[in-house]
Amino acid sequence: MPLLEVKSLTTVVSGYRILNNLDFSVEENELRVLLGPNGAGKTTLIAMITGQFKPTSGRILFNGQDITGRAPDEIFLAGISRKFQVPNMYETLSVYDNVMVSLLTERKVFRYMFKRVTPEENDRIWEILEFVDLADKANDPVDTLSHGERQWLEMGMLIASNPKLMLLDEPTTGMTEEGKRRTADLIRRIARNHTVLLVEHDMHLVRQIADKVTVMHQGQVLAEGPLAEVVQNDQVKAVYLGKGGAH
Amino acid sequence: MLSERATTLQTTNLWLIALGAAVALLVVLVATGTITISQRYISQMMIGVSVAAILVIAAVGLAIIFGVAGVINMAHGQFIMVGAYTAAVVGQLGGNTFVAIPVAFAVVALLGLIVERGIIQWIYDRPLETLLATWGVGIILEVLVKVIFGPELYYVGAPRMLDGGIRLIGRLPYPYYRLFLIGMAILMLAVTFYLVFKTNFGLKVRAVRRNRAMAGSLGINTARIDMLIFMFGSGLAGVAGAVLAPIKSVSTTMGFSYAVDSYMVIVLGGVGNLLGVPTGAFIIGEAETLIATGTNSVIGKLLVFVFIVVAIRIVPRGIFGYQERR
Amino acid sequence: MAMKPSARPEARGRRIRRTRMFPLWALLLGALVMALIGTSPYYGGTDSYVVQLIGKFLCFAIFALSIDLIWGFTGILSLGQAVYFGIGAYFVALSMKINYTLTHPTRYGGKIPDFMEWNGLTELPGFMEPLMSTPIAIIGALVVPTLLALFFGVITFKRHIYGVYCAVITLAESLILQDFIIEYQAYTGGFNGITDYGNIREPAFLWFIIAVTVAFFIIARFLTHSRIGTVLKSVRDNDVRAQFMGYNVANYRIFVFCVSAFMSAAAGAMYAAWVGIVSFLDTGPLFSVEAVVWTAVGGRATLIGPFVGAFLVRGLEFMLSGSWFADYWQFFIGALFIAVVLWIPDGIVGSIGNWLRKRRTGSVRQIREDADQRAHDQQRDWEPAGARKPGEEVV
Repeated sequence: MPLLEVKSLTTVVSGYRILNNLDFSVEENELRVLLGPNGAGKTTLIAMITGQFKPTSGRILFNGQDITGRAPDEIFLAGISRKFQVPNMYETLSVYDNVMVSLLTERKVFRYMFKRVTPEENDRIWEILEFVDLADKANDPVDTLSHGERQWLEMGMLIASNPKLMLLDEPTTGMTEEGKRRTADLIRRIARNHTVLLVEHDMHLVRQIADKVTVMHQGQVLAEGPLAEVVQNDQVKAVYLGKGGAH
Repeated sequence: MLSERATTLQTTNLWLIALGAAVALLVVLVATGTITISQRYISQMMIGVSVAAILVIAAVGLAIIFGVAGVINMAHGQFIMVGAYTAAVVGQLGGNTFVAIPVAFAVVALLGLIVERGIIQWIYDRPLETLLATWGVGIILEVLVKVIFGPELYYVGAPRMLDGGIRLIGRLPYPYYRLFLIGMAILMLAVTFYLVFKTNFGLKVRAVRRNRAMAGSLGINTARIDMLIFMFGSGLAGVAGAVLAPIKSVSTTMGFSYAVDSYMVIVLGGVGNLLGVPTGAFIIGEAETLIATGTNSVIGKLLVFVFIVVAIRIVPRGIFGYQERR
Repeated sequence: MAMKPSARPEARGRRIRRTRMFPLWALLLGALVMALIGTSPYYGGTDSYVVQLIGKFLCFAIFALSIDLIWGFTGILSLGQAVYFGIGAYFVALSMKINYTLTHPTRYGGKIPDFMEWNGLTELPGFMEPLMSTPIAIIGALVVPTLLALFFGVITFKRHIYGVYCAVITLAESLILQDFIIEYQAYTGGFNGITDYGNIREPAFLWFIIAVTVAFFIIARFLTHSRIGTVLKSVRDNDVRAQFMGYNVANYRIFVFCVSAFMSAAAGAMYAAWVGIVSFLDTGPLFSVEAVVWTAVGGRATLIGPFVGAFLVRGLEFMLSGSWFADYWQFFIGALFIAVVLWIPDGIVGSIGNWLRKRRTGSVRQIREDADQRAHDQQRDWEPAGARKPGEEVV
């Protein structure tokens, strides 16, 4: 049974079909890259999976549960963490606290009230900070970080939440080449232990890390399979890579 | 991408639902009541319409500022008050309400300009703190007016040609001035509509409201649009003061209740669309009048507040709230 | 699937630099200040005006602290917090008045509060009889506002109504309660308020107020500097991220709102007992907003700030009350609103903190601007799926 299963998902907005009878699934321990031209519905799909918006029809099954239309916090607790396209964190908190808040623990107000950071949790936070290469800046408020460091911190926050499925929405947007290279490395390392669904535009990056890709077009899956096969697909060439070939 | 159509479709649907519900409620009221009761209710509803007109007059300036610049002007009530005092001064100099309206517009628009340039332009990006700053402006205006005009009340007469009135079914008197208020409400809405939807300036205003950053990068001076809109909304508050002065005595504290009523109109009606103001005003005005006939005005206000709170559970940004996505 | 815990030795046992929840110097300083305040009746005389003011200001400071909890640490601006202060105050004042008239009959020999007599009541209304018992009055003064806050909190925050909408709605709540009190003067004393009920003027009660203040300060310090405090700040900074990280943002807001209402109510109850006069103004929007400004002046998102702000602003008002300036006091308050927002947005304590820590001035402000702006945008644009009905159109 796949970890995430999207069944005939349709989203209609004022007569426009953003997602059209989409079927899609992700297996456990997979690193899947979601490709597609602008407006293909990639971010909408992510929004549907994480509960930001509700689909018009269709179902989303995760780990055997039906999570269609649940609130974002419930979906998180089911095991899906999402990284937003723009770095999205708690601006007045320190780097350390950003990770601490993201640790997967009890989320209910009254049970959280008297919680303290246990030594194990402290070690885990430091370990994550080292993993994303931010241990030296643990005390700094996050608004002093560079754009790239913020992207990595947010990935660190996702690791801290220990998700069954990690959704990364274009984590390299606005990065330098060096930043992209380090991010690709980071994603590869994350994917060793996590199931990752990555939305990415940058074909160069995709070539570095992808094993299996899914190409979306007009709200449907156009092609799926290993990258090398998919890029040879004529339809994909036509709609995604365009007349000019490579991106 | 889809915002334009999504907005129109959704708001129209909601509006139709609201209208349908109101009509159904009316039909039920008429059908269940005896003839005398229904006559009484019809008269009351006519009074409710004039109450709604007052709410529209008071709220439209606030709504346009909030809708475009995203700022709630907590001094709105005091702006109305200044307009009313302007009308009082004009009255003492021998002018009537018709003269007072343009004068009050000019005076309060100027006041709005000063407040916008002096304070609000620095804090547009902090909406919550704008509340505090404008609240301070309101307090200062109250003190200043009290220093200049003294603590006594002023009375402004209605123009001679609006004396007298008609009688409604059920023998209820209905002064001409109420009709004038209704006309005035419609006029103020019409002017605003014209300005926003038919002029070049309005096109820029709508562009800024839709997408401020984009409008700015396309060469629209967004700061200037904000300033002009703030002046225009303030001017409308001044007109409201001039028009409302003959209803009640003019005092330094007269504005606050109008302001809170205006906030409620905006919360219920939403500012995504200018139709929100008359819709919200109509619902609140009618409900307050109808409930208050059975009980007293405080209970009426409380029940209307509860109704608003329930309503915003269904439409969190008001009936005509922003629905679009950036 | 997940990484093994503490796989890397260098991660083990490292600590983060963090201020202690209760630093020793702060404890000592606090104890000193409180001892000075607490002994004031012995060298100032219990009946002296200054001693009376100190008790009053402490109640105001608690009230400002309660506003700081929701505004400074959770990002909810309520302009109607006086609702809870006022209800607490009215419960206690009514109870004390009823009991007082039992032993001190009115001029006409009546055994019911004078304002009831004036309004033609001949005996105590049945629903007020429980107030004859002091414990019930105290419990009512604390529980009723908290439950009311729970109610208002659920209806607003569960629907993601916050920012300016929340401010306006809470303002209306406050105005309606004020109208109610004026309208039903037979039960509330109306315009005149409730007076002459033999307020408590004992040093012991001042000590009690101090104890409650200290207790609330400790609770507030715990709520804001413990692990849950970090969560509250994260909700303030970025509620969308917090929700996508599994926090039920509405519940956290409701919880803090209720704690704040409880503190406000306790402040109001003690205020009524100490000062001996309660009026509709104590529930009104003017008082609510003024208290917000105390917090802003002192420094929001600091816990000392509300104390500094309340004592400074009210103290200044008291010192100037005899002079010609008193007539223009409101003018000064209005100017203060504007000045604080424009020039010292971090407040006095916050600005000193910036200076001591060599932080960029307004660094907190910049962040807050973003947070406010984000809240504002979301108010327009963003809505979670949980709030929508199935099948409804989205985007």
